[in-house]
Amino acid sequence: MNEERMEQLARRLGARAAEQVDVDTVARQVVERLRAQPESRATWIQPAWLRMAATVVVLLGGGVLIGRLIPGRGPGTSNHAAHYVADDLNDLSAAELRDVLASFDDILNTDSVAVPDTTDWRELDAQQLREVLRALEGEG
Amino acid sequence: MANPLPRNVAAPPADAELIAAWRNGDERAATELVERHARPLARFLAGAGAPDTDVDDLVQETFVRAFRGVDRFRGQCQFRTWLLTIGGNVLKDFGRRAARRKVVPLEEGVRDRTGDPHDHAEAREAEELLAAGLQRLPRLQREVFLLRAQQGLEYDEIAGALGTTPGAARVHYHHAVRRLKEIVK
Repeated sequence: MNEERMEQLARRLGARAAEQVDVDTVARQVVERLRAQPESRATWIQPAWLRMAATVVVLLGGGVLIGRLIPGRGPGTSNHAAHYVADDLNDLSAAELRDVLASFDDILNTDSVAVPDTTDWRELDAQQLREVLRALEGEG
Repeated sequence: MANPLPRNVAAPPADAELIAAWRNGDERAATELVERHARPLARFLAGAGAPDTDVDDLVQETFVRAFRGVDRFRGQCQFRTWLLTIGGNVLKDFGRRAARRKVVPLEEGVRDRTGDPHDHAEAREAEELLAAGLQRLPRLQREVFLLRAQQGLEYDEIAGALGTTPGAARVHYHHAVRRLKEIVK
């Protein structure tokens, strides 16, 4: 079958089906459907809103998660940061307590917690360090 | 508010005028567009594999979608060409639903076998061979072939409707012809 013959046949494809279409009925039914449901925008706006809402949820959720995973990123962290690192100060050694304190330099610089400013915390013993940390937690 | 069609003019209103009237709420404009384009659309759908028994419904669904989405039509091609591409989407959705219902595949759909079996038997056989071959083409090639060979559209027009270039439309057409030659030889 050559291309010309193929095109000739293609022009006849569906001719029978087209002849059988009841155009008047189709036109009437189309208009009736459009009249019954004149506005289709709700059908596409709704998914659009759902997508936007899902995006907001993902962004907010991601922000909260990041805030929890990265110390010092979330709101109120400065007041409660100690809870994340020292649930039980009694279990920490002096070296571990010094490591914890090392991460609180920023807090010490800005917080109103009373810290013996004439004393270098590296020179404090374990008991004194616990007292400082508890003070940071608001227990002191 | 509705902007009634001018009825006392000699020349029939162009599609663009009817579309504008429909946008303004004139239902007669929608009716006239259906009357004008329903049969070519039915030929396209049937040629693309729509079972004869479903052509009426598919034509109706295509017009409903087109009129509801008429704001997306910005004259990138003729209204009929745009309508045919919507028909292609409607047919694709129909095929998916049919597949989910596990009814007969689209290409084996109910076709009209009535009439004198000896009438134009050879031509009908070739036509059916071509129709079967079209079902084995990728959708884009099939639609480009039908738009070109069945509907007689230029590549520029096809490209405008499909959002591609005339060169790409030409390539799709020639791939379709080559595949069809292999299939129906």
